[in-house]
Amino acid sequence: MKNILIALSVALNLLFCGFAMANTAEEPSSANELMWTQVKDGAQGVTTSKGQAHNQLINTYDMRVFQLRSDLLAPAIMAALFGMIIVFVLFIKVNGISKLHGGFSGKMVHRWSKFDVSIHWLGAIPCLLLILTGLTLLAGRFFFHPYLSEGLWAGLINAAKLVHDYMAIPFMFGWLLMTVLWAKNQMPKMYDIKWMLYVGGYINFGPFKGKHPDAGFANAGEKLWFWTFALFGLVICASGMLLLFPNVFEPSRTLSLIALVLHSVSAIIITAFSIVHIFMATVMSEGGMECMVSGYCDENWATQHHNLWFDEIKQNGTLTYKK
Amino acid sequence: MATMKFLCDTKRCIECNGCVTACKNENDSALEWGIQRRRVVTLKDGEPGEASISVACMHCTDAPCMAVCPTDCFYRTEDGIVLHNKDTCIGCGYCFYACPFGAPQFPQKSTFGGRGKMDKCTFCAGGPEEDHSEAERLKYGSNRIAEGKLPMCAELCATKSLLAGDAGVVSNIYRERVASRGSNKAIWG
Ligand code: HEM
Ligand code: SF4
Ligand code: SF4
Repeated sequence: MKNILIALSVALNLLFCGFAMANTAEEPSSANELMWTQVKDGAQGVTTSKGQAHNQLINTYDMRVFQLRSDLLAPAIMAALFGMIIVFVLFIKVNGISKLHGGFSGKMVHRWSKFDVSIHWLGAIPCLLLILTGLTLLAGRFFFHPYLSEGLWAGLINAAKLVHDYMAIPFMFGWLLMTVLWAKNQMPKMYDIKWMLYVGGYINFGPFKGKHPDAGFANAGEKLWFWTFALFGLVICASGMLLLFPNVFEPSRTLSLIALVLHSVSAIIITAFSIVHIFMATVMSEGGMECMVSGYCDENWATQHHNLWFDEIKQNGTLTYKK
Repeated sequence: MATMKFLCDTKRCIECNGCVTACKNENDSALEWGIQRRRVVTLKDGEPGEASISVACMHCTDAPCMAVCPTDCFYRTEDGIVLHNKDTCIGCGYCFYACPFGAPQFPQKSTFGGRGKMDKCTFCAGGPEEDHSEAERLKYGSNRIAEGKLPMCAELCATKSLLAGDAGVVSNIYRERVASRGSNKAIWG
Protein backbone atom coordinates (compact mmCIF):
# COMPACT_ATOMS: atom_id res chain seq x y z
CA MET A 1 0.00 0.00 0.00
CA LYS A 2 2.69 2.42 1.08
CA ASN A 3 4.71 1.94 -2.09
CA ILE A 4 1.64 2.61 -4.20
CA LEU A 5 1.22 5.86 -2.31
CA ILE A 6 4.83 6.78 -2.92
CA ALA A 7 4.49 5.98 -6.61
CA LEU A 8 1.31 8.04 -6.81
CA SER A 9 2.81 11.00 -5.07
CA VAL A 10 5.83 10.95 -7.34
CA ALA A 11 3.50 10.77 -10.34
CA LEU A 12 1.70 13.78 -8.92
CA ASN A 13 4.96 15.66 -8.67
CA LEU A 14 5.79 14.77 -12.22
CA LEU A 15 2.50 16.36 -13.28
CA PHE A 16 3.74 19.55 -11.76
CA CYS A 17 6.50 19.64 -14.31
CA GLY A 18 3.82 20.93 -16.61
CA PHE A 19 4.26 18.51 -19.49
CA ALA A 20 1.29 16.25 -19.04
CA MET A 21 -1.14 18.90 -17.94
CA ALA A 22 -0.38 21.09 -20.89
CA ASN A 23 -2.85 19.13 -22.96
CA THR A 24 -5.61 18.24 -20.56
CA ALA A 25 -7.83 21.13 -21.65
CA GLU A 26 -7.87 20.33 -25.35
CA GLU A 27 -6.93 17.47 -27.62
CA PRO A 28 -3.43 16.12 -26.93
CA SER A 29 -0.65 17.11 -29.24
CA SER A 30 1.37 14.04 -30.08
CA ALA A 31 4.70 15.86 -30.00
CA ASN A 32 4.17 16.82 -26.37
CA GLU A 33 3.00 13.35 -25.44
CA LEU A 34 6.06 11.88 -27.05
CA MET A 35 8.37 14.21 -25.18
CA TRP A 36 6.61 13.41 -21.93
CA THR A 37 7.15 9.68 -22.51
CA GLN A 38 10.81 10.28 -23.25
CA VAL A 39 11.22 12.31 -20.07
CA LYS A 40 9.74 9.50 -18.01
CA ASP A 41 12.14 7.11 -19.74
CA GLY A 42 15.04 9.21 -18.52
CA ALA A 43 15.63 11.46 -21.55
CA GLN A 44 18.69 13.68 -21.24
CA GLY A 45 18.88 17.26 -22.31
CA VAL A 46 21.32 20.13 -22.26
CA THR A 47 22.08 22.16 -19.16
CA THR A 48 24.71 24.60 -18.04
CA SER A 49 24.84 22.90 -14.63
CA LYS A 50 27.84 20.76 -13.75
CA GLY A 51 25.83 18.96 -11.04
CA GLN A 52 25.72 15.16 -10.97
CA ALA A 53 22.95 13.74 -13.19
CA HIS A 54 21.71 17.25 -13.79
CA ASN A 55 21.19 16.82 -17.53
CA GLN A 56 18.58 14.12 -16.92
CA LEU A 57 15.13 15.32 -15.86
CA ILE A 58 13.70 12.22 -14.23
CA ASN A 59 15.08 8.87 -13.13
CA THR A 60 12.41 6.20 -12.66
CA TYR A 61 12.93 2.88 -10.90
CA ASP A 62 10.97 0.44 -8.76
CA MET A 63 9.91 2.36 -5.66
CA ARG A 64 9.23 -0.84 -3.71
CA VAL A 65 12.92 -0.77 -2.77
CA PHE A 66 12.11 1.50 0.20
CA GLN A 67 9.48 -0.81 1.60
CA LEU A 68 11.85 -3.72 1.07
CA ARG A 69 14.49 -2.02 3.20
CA SER A 70 12.24 -0.76 5.99
CA ASP A 71 9.86 -3.72 6.31
CA LEU A 72 12.05 -6.67 5.41
CA LEU A 73 15.80 -6.07 5.31
CA ALA A 74 16.07 -3.90 8.43
CA PRO A 75 14.18 -6.31 10.75
CA ALA A 76 16.01 -9.22 9.10
CA ILE A 77 19.48 -7.93 9.98
CA MET A 78 18.32 -7.32 13.57
CA ALA A 79 17.06 -10.91 13.69
CA ALA A 80 20.27 -12.19 12.09
CA LEU A 81 22.35 -10.61 14.85
CA PHE A 82 20.31 -10.38 18.05
CA GLY A 83 17.83 -13.14 17.20
CA MET A 84 20.59 -15.62 16.42
CA ILE A 85 22.39 -14.79 19.68
CA ILE A 86 19.23 -15.50 21.67
CA VAL A 87 18.59 -18.74 19.77
CA PHE A 88 22.14 -19.91 20.39
CA VAL A 89 22.16 -19.05 24.09
CA LEU A 90 18.92 -20.99 24.54
CA PHE A 91 20.29 -23.89 22.51
CA ILE A 92 23.39 -24.12 24.68
CA LYS A 93 21.26 -23.90 27.85
CA VAL A 94 19.21 -26.90 26.68
CA ASN A 95 21.83 -28.90 24.82
CA GLY A 96 25.09 -28.06 26.56
CA ILE A 97 28.41 -27.74 24.77
CA SER A 98 30.59 -30.33 23.07
CA LYS A 99 33.21 -31.33 25.63
CA LEU A 100 36.43 -33.13 24.83
CA HIS A 101 35.79 -36.71 25.93
CA GLY A 102 39.30 -37.42 27.05
CA GLY A 103 39.88 -33.90 28.41
CA PHE A 104 42.90 -31.97 27.16
CA SER A 105 45.90 -34.09 26.23
CA GLY A 106 48.28 -31.16 26.43
CA LYS A 107 49.89 -32.29 23.16
CA MET A 108 49.40 -29.51 20.63
CA VAL A 109 49.13 -30.41 16.93
CA HIS A 110 50.11 -27.92 14.23
CA ARG A 111 46.95 -26.90 12.28
CA TRP A 112 47.33 -23.36 10.92
CA SER A 113 50.43 -21.37 9.94
CA LYS A 114 51.03 -17.97 11.52
CA PHE A 115 50.15 -16.45 8.16
CA ASP A 116 46.79 -18.27 8.10
CA VAL A 117 45.98 -17.04 11.60
CA SER A 118 46.78 -13.47 10.62
CA ILE A 119 44.65 -13.44 7.47
CA HIS A 120 41.81 -14.90 9.52
CA TRP A 121 41.88 -11.93 11.87
CA LEU A 122 42.53 -9.51 9.01
CA GLY A 123 39.10 -10.53 7.73
CA ALA A 124 37.38 -11.29 11.02
CA ILE A 125 37.93 -8.13 13.07
CA PRO A 126 36.82 -5.80 10.25
CA CYS A 127 33.93 -8.19 9.53
CA LEU A 128 32.62 -7.82 13.08
CA LEU A 129 32.87 -4.04 12.92
CA LEU A 130 31.27 -4.02 9.46
CA ILE A 131 28.35 -6.04 10.79
CA LEU A 132 27.76 -3.68 13.71
CA THR A 133 28.16 -0.50 11.66
CA GLY A 134 26.26 -1.91 8.66
CA LEU A 135 23.40 -2.84 10.95
CA THR A 136 23.36 0.72 12.26
CA LEU A 137 23.20 2.05 8.70
CA LEU A 138 20.41 -0.26 7.62
CA ALA A 139 18.29 -0.65 10.74
CA GLY A 140 19.46 2.08 13.11
CA ARG A 141 16.91 4.67 12.07
CA PHE A 142 14.10 2.26 12.95
CA PHE A 143 15.53 0.54 16.03
CA PHE A 144 17.99 2.99 17.65
CA HIS A 145 17.04 6.51 16.57
CA PRO A 146 13.68 6.61 18.44
CA TYR A 147 15.50 6.01 21.75
CA LEU A 148 18.38 8.46 21.28
CA SER A 149 18.71 12.22 21.34
CA GLU A 150 19.38 13.79 17.93
CA GLY A 151 22.96 14.67 18.89
CA LEU A 152 23.80 11.18 20.13
CA TRP A 153 22.21 9.59 17.09
CA ALA A 154 24.10 11.92 14.72
CA GLY A 155 27.37 10.97 16.44
CA LEU A 156 26.59 7.27 16.29
CA ILE A 157 25.58 7.16 12.63
CA ASN A 158 28.51 9.37 11.59
CA ALA A 159 30.92 7.06 13.39
CA ALA A 160 29.20 4.02 11.86
CA LYS A 161 29.70 5.35 8.36
CA LEU A 162 33.35 6.25 8.92
CA VAL A 163 34.22 2.93 10.53
CA HIS A 164 32.33 1.06 7.81
CA ASP A 165 34.23 2.89 5.06
CA TYR A 166 37.67 2.27 6.55
CA MET A 167 37.09 -1.32 7.70
CA ALA A 168 35.90 -2.28 4.21
CA ILE A 169 39.47 -2.12 2.90
CA PRO A 170 41.21 -4.66 5.23
CA PHE A 171 38.10 -6.84 5.06
CA MET A 172 38.41 -7.15 1.29
CA PHE A 173 42.04 -8.27 1.57
CA GLY A 174 41.16 -10.78 4.29
CA TRP A 175 38.24 -12.11 2.28
CA LEU A 176 40.30 -12.48 -0.89
CA LEU A 177 43.25 -14.20 0.79
CA MET A 178 41.09 -16.62 2.78
CA THR A 179 38.90 -17.48 -0.18
CA VAL A 180 41.79 -18.16 -2.52
CA LEU A 181 44.25 -19.81 -0.16
CA TRP A 182 41.87 -22.00 1.83
CA ALA A 183 39.56 -23.27 -0.92
CA LYS A 184 41.56 -26.48 -1.50
CA ASN A 185 40.74 -27.74 2.01
CA GLN A 186 37.06 -26.95 1.64
CA MET A 187 36.03 -29.21 -1.25
CA PRO A 188 32.85 -31.20 -0.49
CA LYS A 189 33.31 -34.95 0.12
CA MET A 190 30.83 -37.85 0.42
CA TYR A 191 31.27 -38.13 4.20
CA ASP A 192 30.05 -34.54 4.55
CA ILE A 193 26.49 -35.74 3.93
CA LYS A 194 26.67 -38.08 6.92
CA TRP A 195 28.16 -35.26 9.02
CA MET A 196 25.16 -33.12 8.17
CA LEU A 197 22.70 -35.91 9.04
CA TYR A 198 24.25 -36.15 12.51
CA VAL A 199 24.53 -32.35 12.84
CA GLY A 200 28.23 -32.90 13.37
CA GLY A 201 27.70 -34.76 16.63
CA TYR A 202 26.98 -31.54 18.50
CA ILE A 203 23.49 -32.60 19.62
CA ASN A 204 23.70 -34.11 23.10
CA PHE A 205 20.43 -36.03 23.23
CA GLY A 206 18.24 -38.53 21.34
CA PRO A 207 19.72 -40.62 18.53
CA PHE A 208 22.48 -38.03 18.02
CA LYS A 209 24.09 -38.40 21.42
CA GLY A 210 27.73 -39.40 21.44
CA LYS A 211 27.97 -39.67 17.64
CA HIS A 212 31.13 -38.42 15.93
CA PRO A 213 30.69 -38.37 12.16
CA ASP A 214 33.83 -38.35 10.02
CA ALA A 215 35.43 -35.05 9.12
CA GLY A 216 38.58 -34.09 7.26
CA PHE A 217 40.56 -30.88 7.78
CA ALA A 218 37.26 -29.01 7.63
CA ASN A 219 33.93 -30.51 8.56
CA ALA A 220 30.77 -30.11 6.50
CA GLY A 221 29.54 -27.20 8.62
CA GLU A 222 32.78 -25.31 8.19
CA LYS A 223 32.68 -25.98 4.46
CA LEU A 224 29.16 -24.61 4.24
CA TRP A 225 30.28 -21.46 6.06
CA PHE A 226 33.40 -21.15 3.90
CA TRP A 227 31.49 -21.25 0.61
CA THR A 228 28.73 -18.98 1.90
CA PHE A 229 31.39 -16.51 2.99
CA ALA A 230 33.20 -16.82 -0.34
CA LEU A 231 30.06 -16.23 -2.41
CA PHE A 232 28.31 -13.54 -0.40
CA GLY A 233 31.65 -11.98 0.44
CA LEU A 234 32.13 -11.52 -3.29
CA VAL A 235 28.70 -9.91 -3.66
CA ILE A 236 29.28 -7.68 -0.65
CA CYS A 237 32.73 -6.57 -1.86
CA ALA A 238 31.53 -5.91 -5.42
CA SER A 239 28.41 -3.98 -4.39
CA GLY A 240 30.35 -2.19 -1.63
CA MET A 241 32.97 -1.03 -4.14
CA LEU A 242 30.24 0.54 -6.30
CA LEU A 243 28.89 2.40 -3.27
CA LEU A 244 32.29 3.38 -1.90
CA PHE A 245 33.97 4.55 -5.11
CA PRO A 246 31.20 5.94 -7.34
CA ASN A 247 33.75 8.33 -8.85
CA VAL A 248 35.72 5.35 -10.18
CA PHE A 249 32.92 3.02 -11.31
CA GLU A 250 30.25 5.63 -12.09
CA PRO A 251 27.25 3.39 -11.43
CA SER A 252 23.86 4.74 -12.43
CA ARG A 253 21.53 5.75 -9.61
CA THR A 254 19.34 2.73 -10.22
CA LEU A 255 22.33 0.40 -10.19
CA SER A 256 23.45 1.96 -6.89
CA LEU A 257 20.06 1.18 -5.36
CA ILE A 258 20.30 -2.41 -6.62
CA ALA A 259 23.82 -2.64 -5.15
CA LEU A 260 22.45 -1.38 -1.84
CA VAL A 261 19.84 -4.15 -1.75
CA LEU A 262 22.30 -6.88 -2.76
CA HIS A 263 24.73 -5.55 -0.16
CA SER A 264 22.10 -5.74 2.59
CA VAL A 265 20.89 -9.21 1.62
CA SER A 266 24.46 -10.55 1.66
CA ALA A 267 25.09 -8.75 4.95
CA ILE A 268 22.10 -10.46 6.55
CA ILE A 269 23.31 -13.90 5.45
CA ILE A 270 26.92 -13.26 6.52
CA THR A 271 25.74 -11.88 9.87
CA ALA A 272 23.62 -14.93 10.70
CA PHE A 273 26.45 -17.31 9.71
CA SER A 274 29.03 -15.26 11.61
CA ILE A 275 27.07 -15.59 14.84
CA VAL A 276 26.91 -19.37 14.43
CA HIS A 277 30.60 -19.46 13.56
CA ILE A 278 31.61 -17.39 16.58
CA PHE A 279 29.48 -19.45 18.96
CA MET A 280 30.89 -22.70 17.60
CA ALA A 281 34.46 -21.51 17.95
CA THR A 282 34.29 -19.86 21.34
CA VAL A 283 31.67 -21.72 23.35
CA MET A 284 30.28 -24.77 21.65
CA SER A 285 33.42 -26.67 20.75
CA GLU A 286 35.73 -26.95 23.73
CA GLY A 287 39.31 -26.30 22.62
CA GLY A 288 38.32 -24.90 19.24
CA MET A 289 39.34 -21.30 19.79
CA GLU A 290 42.98 -22.29 20.36
CA CYS A 291 43.37 -22.97 16.61
CA MET A 292 43.02 -19.32 15.69
CA VAL A 293 45.08 -18.09 18.64
CA SER A 294 48.26 -20.13 18.37
CA GLY A 295 47.59 -22.10 15.21
CA TYR A 296 47.82 -25.35 17.21
CA CYS A 297 45.01 -27.63 18.43
CA ASP A 298 44.88 -30.22 21.18
CA GLU A 299 45.45 -33.76 19.91
CA ASN A 300 42.19 -34.93 21.54
CA TRP A 301 40.31 -32.12 19.81
CA ALA A 302 41.82 -33.18 16.48
CA THR A 303 40.82 -36.83 16.86
CA GLN A 304 37.32 -35.99 18.10
CA HIS A 305 36.40 -33.33 15.55
CA HIS A 306 38.68 -33.93 12.56
CA ASN A 307 39.54 -37.64 12.71
CA LEU A 308 40.22 -38.14 8.97
CA TRP A 309 42.57 -35.18 8.85
CA PHE A 310 44.46 -36.40 11.94
CA ASP A 311 44.81 -39.93 10.48
CA GLU A 312 46.04 -38.43 7.22
CA ILE A 313 48.77 -36.21 8.66
CA LYS A 314 49.88 -39.02 10.96
CA GLN A 315 50.24 -41.33 7.99
CA ASN A 316 51.98 -38.93 5.60
CA GLY A 317 54.32 -37.63 8.27
CA THR A 318 53.27 -33.99 8.22
CA LEU A 319 52.09 -34.19 11.82
CA THR A 320 54.11 -31.80 13.95
CA TYR A 321 53.71 -31.01 17.61
CA LYS A 322 54.36 -27.74 19.37
CA LYS A 323 57.74 -27.85 21.07
CA MET B 1 -2.19 24.47 5.74
CA ALA B 2 -0.71 24.99 2.34
CA THR B 3 1.12 22.30 0.40
CA MET B 4 3.99 24.04 -1.33
CA LYS B 5 4.94 23.06 -4.88
CA PHE B 6 6.94 24.31 -7.83
CA LEU B 7 5.49 24.25 -11.31
CA CYS B 8 7.39 25.07 -14.50
CA ASP B 9 5.39 26.01 -17.56
CA THR B 10 7.52 24.69 -20.42
CA LYS B 11 5.64 26.82 -22.92
CA ARG B 12 6.99 29.91 -21.20
CA CYS B 13 10.50 28.92 -20.09
CA ILE B 14 13.08 30.66 -22.28
CA GLU B 15 16.17 29.04 -20.74
CA CYS B 16 17.44 32.36 -19.41
CA ASN B 17 18.74 30.71 -16.21
CA GLY B 18 17.44 33.65 -14.19
CA CYS B 19 16.03 31.25 -11.60
CA VAL B 20 19.43 29.55 -11.28
CA THR B 21 21.15 32.86 -10.70
CA ALA B 22 18.46 34.05 -8.30
CA CYS B 23 18.87 30.87 -6.24
CA LYS B 24 22.65 31.06 -6.27
CA ASN B 25 22.57 34.65 -5.12
CA GLU B 26 19.88 34.18 -2.49
CA ASN B 27 21.46 31.08 -0.90
CA ASP B 28 25.10 31.93 -1.55
CA SER B 29 26.09 31.70 2.12
CA ALA B 30 25.26 27.96 2.19
CA LEU B 31 26.44 26.85 -1.24
CA GLU B 32 29.85 25.21 -1.45
CA TRP B 33 31.80 25.78 -4.63
CA GLY B 34 30.25 23.99 -7.60
CA ILE B 35 26.89 23.26 -6.01
CA GLN B 36 23.81 24.41 -7.82
CA ARG B 37 20.36 23.75 -6.38
CA ARG B 38 18.32 24.64 -9.45
CA ARG B 39 19.10 23.98 -13.10
CA VAL B 40 17.39 24.48 -16.45
CA VAL B 41 17.32 21.46 -18.76
CA THR B 42 16.62 21.92 -22.45
CA LEU B 43 15.27 18.98 -24.39
CA LYS B 44 15.70 18.76 -28.19
CA ASP B 45 18.06 21.71 -28.03
CA GLY B 46 18.09 23.47 -31.39
CA GLU B 47 15.54 21.09 -32.91
CA PRO B 48 11.85 21.57 -33.62
CA GLY B 49 9.86 21.04 -30.44
CA GLU B 50 12.62 22.35 -28.18
CA ALA B 51 11.45 22.76 -24.60
CA SER B 52 13.17 24.03 -21.48
CA ILE B 53 12.26 23.27 -17.92
CA SER B 54 13.61 24.53 -14.63
CA VAL B 55 14.09 21.82 -11.99
CA ALA B 56 15.10 21.67 -8.35
CA CYS B 57 13.78 19.62 -5.44
CA MET B 58 10.06 19.03 -6.05
CA HIS B 59 9.24 18.65 -2.34
CA CYS B 60 7.57 15.30 -2.97
CA THR B 61 4.53 14.37 -0.94
CA ASP B 62 5.92 10.92 -0.11
CA ALA B 63 9.55 11.77 -0.59
CA PRO B 64 11.89 8.96 -1.69
CA CYS B 65 14.89 10.77 -0.15
CA MET B 66 13.12 10.73 3.21
CA ALA B 67 12.32 7.03 2.88
CA VAL B 68 15.88 5.98 2.04
CA CYS B 69 18.05 8.14 4.32
CA PRO B 70 19.87 5.90 6.86
CA THR B 71 20.15 8.80 9.31
CA ASP B 72 16.47 9.78 9.12
CA CYS B 73 17.54 13.43 8.87
CA PHE B 74 14.71 14.64 6.59
CA TYR B 75 11.57 16.25 7.86
CA ARG B 76 8.51 17.87 6.34
CA THR B 77 7.37 21.31 7.43
CA GLU B 78 3.69 22.01 7.96
CA ASP B 79 3.73 23.63 4.51
CA GLY B 80 4.76 20.32 2.94
CA ILE B 81 8.34 21.48 2.33
CA VAL B 82 10.98 18.71 2.55
CA LEU B 83 14.03 19.85 4.55
CA HIS B 84 16.99 18.04 6.08
CA ASN B 85 19.40 18.36 8.99
CA LYS B 86 22.99 18.76 7.79
CA ASP B 87 24.40 18.02 11.25
CA THR B 88 23.00 14.49 11.10
CA CYS B 89 23.66 13.86 7.38
CA ILE B 90 26.63 11.52 6.76
CA GLY B 91 27.01 12.15 3.04
CA CYS B 92 26.27 8.56 2.05
CA GLY B 93 24.56 9.54 -1.20
CA TYR B 94 21.49 7.29 -0.75
CA CYS B 95 19.14 10.27 -1.30
CA PHE B 96 20.91 11.09 -4.56
CA TYR B 97 20.29 7.52 -5.76
CA ALA B 98 16.64 7.67 -4.70
CA CYS B 99 15.60 11.16 -5.81
CA PRO B 100 13.84 10.97 -9.21
CA PHE B 101 14.87 14.58 -9.98
CA GLY B 102 18.59 14.56 -9.18
CA ALA B 103 18.04 17.25 -6.54
CA PRO B 104 20.49 16.19 -3.78
CA GLN B 105 24.04 17.33 -4.58
CA PHE B 106 27.37 16.94 -2.77
CA PRO B 107 30.62 18.89 -2.49
CA GLN B 108 32.72 15.74 -3.05
CA LYS B 109 32.45 12.89 -5.54
CA SER B 110 33.53 9.74 -3.64
CA THR B 111 31.65 8.39 -0.63
CA PHE B 112 34.91 7.18 0.94
CA GLY B 113 35.09 9.09 4.20
CA GLY B 114 31.97 10.98 3.14
CA ARG B 115 30.88 13.09 0.18
CA GLY B 116 30.36 16.03 2.51
CA LYS B 117 26.95 17.25 3.62
CA MET B 118 24.15 16.87 1.13
CA ASP B 119 22.68 20.11 -0.20
CA LYS B 120 19.41 20.67 -1.99
CA CYS B 121 16.71 23.28 -2.58
CA THR B 122 14.98 24.30 0.64
CA PHE B 123 12.10 26.19 -1.04
CA CYS B 124 13.91 29.16 0.54
CA ALA B 125 12.72 27.84 3.90
CA GLY B 126 16.07 27.47 5.73
CA GLY B 127 16.61 24.47 7.97
CA PRO B 128 16.16 23.10 11.47
CA GLU B 129 18.17 25.92 13.08
CA GLU B 130 16.39 28.91 14.55
CA ASP B 131 14.80 31.10 11.84
CA HIS B 132 17.23 33.69 10.42
CA SER B 133 20.06 32.61 12.74
CA GLU B 134 23.66 32.74 11.52
CA ALA B 135 23.83 28.92 11.69
CA GLU B 136 20.81 28.64 9.42
CA ARG B 137 22.21 31.16 6.97
CA LEU B 138 25.56 29.35 6.74
CA LYS B 139 24.16 25.84 6.38
CA TYR B 140 20.93 26.29 4.46
CA GLY B 141 20.84 29.79 3.03
CA SER B 142 17.89 32.10 3.12
CA ASN B 143 14.57 31.67 4.88
CA ARG B 144 11.99 33.65 2.95
CA ILE B 145 9.10 31.43 3.98
CA ALA B 146 9.51 32.62 7.58
CA GLU B 147 9.10 36.16 6.24
CA GLY B 148 5.92 35.22 4.41
CA LYS B 149 7.64 35.35 1.01
CA LEU B 150 7.92 32.75 -1.75
CA PRO B 151 11.18 31.27 -3.17
CA MET B 152 13.45 33.74 -4.95
CA CYS B 153 13.73 31.68 -8.17
CA ALA B 154 9.99 31.86 -8.88
CA GLU B 155 9.70 35.46 -7.73
CA LEU B 156 12.39 36.54 -10.21
CA CYS B 157 11.24 34.43 -13.17
CA ALA B 158 10.79 37.02 -15.93
CA THR B 159 8.22 35.07 -17.94
CA LYS B 160 6.42 33.71 -14.85
CA SER B 161 7.09 30.26 -16.20
CA LEU B 162 8.31 29.03 -12.82
CA LEU B 163 5.58 29.22 -10.23
CA ALA B 164 5.92 28.47 -6.53
CA GLY B 165 3.23 28.33 -3.89
CA ASP B 166 0.31 26.30 -2.66
CA ALA B 167 -0.36 23.40 -5.01
CA GLY B 168 -4.01 24.34 -5.50
CA VAL B 169 -3.33 27.99 -6.30
CA VAL B 170 -0.41 27.25 -8.59
CA SER B 171 -2.21 24.61 -10.62
CA ASN B 172 -5.27 26.86 -10.98
CA ILE B 173 -3.13 29.60 -12.49
CA TYR B 174 -1.64 27.06 -14.82
CA ARG B 175 -5.00 25.61 -15.83
CA GLU B 176 -6.37 29.05 -16.64
CA ARG B 177 -3.33 29.74 -18.79
CA VAL B 178 -3.73 26.54 -20.74
CA ALA B 179 -7.44 27.15 -21.24
CA SER B 180 -6.90 30.67 -22.58
CA ARG B 181 -4.08 29.69 -24.91
CA GLY B 182 -5.41 29.98 -28.45
CA SER B 183 -4.11 26.59 -29.42
CA ASN B 184 -2.23 24.06 -27.36
CA LYS B 185 0.34 24.02 -30.12
CA ALA B 186 1.01 27.70 -29.60
CA ILE B 187 4.39 28.52 -28.11
CA TRP B 188 3.42 31.71 -26.28
CA GLY B 189 0.72 31.14 -23.67
C1 HEM C 1 31.06 -8.36 6.46
C2 HEM C 1 31.06 -7.45 5.62
C3 HEM C 1 30.03 -6.35 5.47
C4 HEM C 1 28.82 -6.19 6.05
C5 HEM C 1 28.15 -7.12 7.05
C6 HEM C 1 28.24 -4.98 5.54
C7 HEM C 1 26.99 -4.50 5.88
C8 HEM C 1 26.43 -3.33 5.37
C9 HEM C 1 25.09 -2.89 5.59
C10 HEM C 1 24.03 -3.67 6.35
C11 HEM C 1 24.94 -1.68 4.99
C12 HEM C 1 23.69 -0.82 4.96
C13 HEM C 1 22.94 -1.13 3.69
C14 HEM C 1 21.65 -0.35 3.58
O1 HEM C 1 21.57 0.72 4.20
O2 HEM C 1 20.76 -0.81 2.86
C15 HEM C 1 26.19 -1.33 4.39
C16 HEM C 1 26.46 -0.15 3.71
C17 HEM C 1 27.62 0.10 3.00
N1 HEM C 1 28.69 -0.79 2.85
FE1 HEM C 1 28.89 -2.56 3.76
N2 HEM C 1 29.13 -4.39 4.66
C18 HEM C 1 30.23 -5.22 4.58
C19 HEM C 1 31.33 -5.04 3.79
C20 HEM C 1 31.53 -3.93 2.97
C21 HEM C 1 32.63 -3.77 2.06
C22 HEM C 1 33.71 -4.81 1.85
C23 HEM C 1 32.49 -2.55 1.47
C24 HEM C 1 33.34 -1.83 0.44
C25 HEM C 1 34.01 -2.34 -0.47
C26 HEM C 1 31.31 -1.94 2.01
C27 HEM C 1 30.83 -0.69 1.66
C28 HEM C 1 29.63 -0.15 2.07
C29 HEM C 1 29.18 1.17 1.71
C30 HEM C 1 29.94 2.19 0.87
C31 HEM C 1 27.92 1.32 2.30
C32 HEM C 1 27.03 2.58 2.20
C33 HEM C 1 27.15 3.40 3.45
C34 HEM C 1 28.42 4.17 3.49
O3 HEM C 1 28.68 4.98 2.60
O4 HEM C 1 29.16 3.98 4.47
N3 HEM C 1 30.74 -2.80 2.91
N4 HEM C 1 27.09 -2.35 4.62
S1 SF4 D 1 15.12 15.65 -2.82
FE1 SF4 D 1 14.18 14.57 -4.52
S2 SF4 D 1 13.03 12.92 -3.54
FE2 SF4 D 1 13.48 14.41 -1.94
S3 SF4 D 1 11.67 15.75 -1.89
FE3 SF4 D 1 13.18 16.72 -3.27
S4 SF4 D 1 12.61 15.98 -5.31
FE4 SF4 D 1 11.59 14.62 -3.83
S1 SF4 E 1 23.50 11.90 2.05
FE1 SF4 E 1 22.74 12.72 3.99
S2 SF4 E 1 20.64 13.30 3.58
FE2 SF4 E 1 21.26 11.98 1.90
S3 SF4 E 1 20.61 9.92 2.51
FE3 SF4 E 1 22.73 10.13 3.20
S4 SF4 E 1 22.58 10.90 5.28
FE4 SF4 E 1 20.56 11.20 4.36
